[in-house]
Amino acid sequence: MDAKTIIDSISNEFSDSISNTLIESEIRVSAYVSSPDVVEVCRYLKESLGFDHLSCESVVDYIKRDEFEVVYHIASYDHPVVLTLKAILPRDNPVIDSIVDVYWNANWYERENYELYGVSYTNHPYLKVLVLPEEMLGEWPLRKDYEGFPQKTAKNLV
Amino acid sequence: MGEINQNITQKTNEKVEEEVNQEEIPGVITTTSNAISDFIKKTAAQDFINWGRKNSLWFMTQPMGCCGVEMIATGCAHYDTDRFGIIPRNSPRHADVMIISGYVTKKYLPALKNLWEQMASPKWILAMGDCSISGGPFYESYSTVQNIDEIFPIDVFIPGCPPRPEALLEGFIQLQKKIAAKKDKGTNY
Ligand code: SF4
Repeated sequence: MDAKTIIDSISNEFSDSISNTLIESEIRVSAYVSSPDVVEVCRYLKESLGFDHLSCESVVDYIKRDEFEVVYHIASYDHPVVLTLKAILPRDNPVIDSIVDVYWNANWYERENYELYGVSYTNHPYLKVLVLPEEMLGEWPLRKDYEGFPQKTAKNLV
Repeated sequence: MGEINQNITQKTNEKVEEEVNQEEIPGVITTTSNAISDFIKKTAAQDFINWGRKNSLWFMTQPMGCCGVEMIATGCAHYDTDRFGIIPRNSPRHADVMIISGYVTKKYLPALKNLWEQMASPKWILAMGDCSISGGPFYESYSTVQNIDEIFPIDVFIPGCPPRPEALLEGFIQLQKKIAAKKDKGTNY
């Protein structure tokens, strides 16, 4: 399956929710998805287009646009194309459906995104902190407007 | 009977513990006061005790950051720390020295305090590497604990990122000098 077939296929299947498709090269394609449909799109990718491997799920904080982008890198063991799927969320209420039902390994990615950015995933089986200490939950340290850093200079060096 | 029952009900857990501690052993006089050791501290006997202590500084193998790798290397055969009486131990119960060998995160600090509490006195702390001294390259991270010297009584700071094994050895030797001079923080002189 080549890049163009994949893009055409998802654009036809989800003409309402898929936008800004881009074929960067033979093996890299990207698309934006509207956030309510992300589970459906992922299920279609996995079952019909052979994208059986979620390699990464991350969040980018675009503070000037007042938006989060949830980024899914989805690849396949059968064909060489890697799809970058992005969903835009509002910064004041970032809620998106969990894709653990489709890709089980999204579990820990989503927990980490939750503790560091505060993106909350509905239908996640166990949305708790992953590596942060419990008492830091709610500070969302990787957001661009996070202020809770320790001293700016090291006391012993000045 | 009535009296005994009353006594039992009045005892709190604390009192029970105290009584167990003060239980009489035949031929042995037990005390809870520090008078004897306080007296010895003022005499020349303490010099002899300190000579013994400084020549058996067993440290806890508790590598925390990348400095921990240098710490392990120091404990290996090449540097032969045994000639100074410095031996790596795996249990805090056996150790005299804790080396803070790397970044202390907010999540790790409670565990580190636990380890420190578990060590038997007299005990000393070395701060190894820039991370434990001031935060090092991670000084501005959301999860780093800075100024660890406000939390632990640190005797020797060993700067470097990471300090070479020779530097760690030098730190130990400085600690030995401090103990010999009765300037260390492990004991109240
Ligand atoms: S001081 Fe340097 S080598 Fe040591 S733990 Fe920190 S970053 Fe690693």
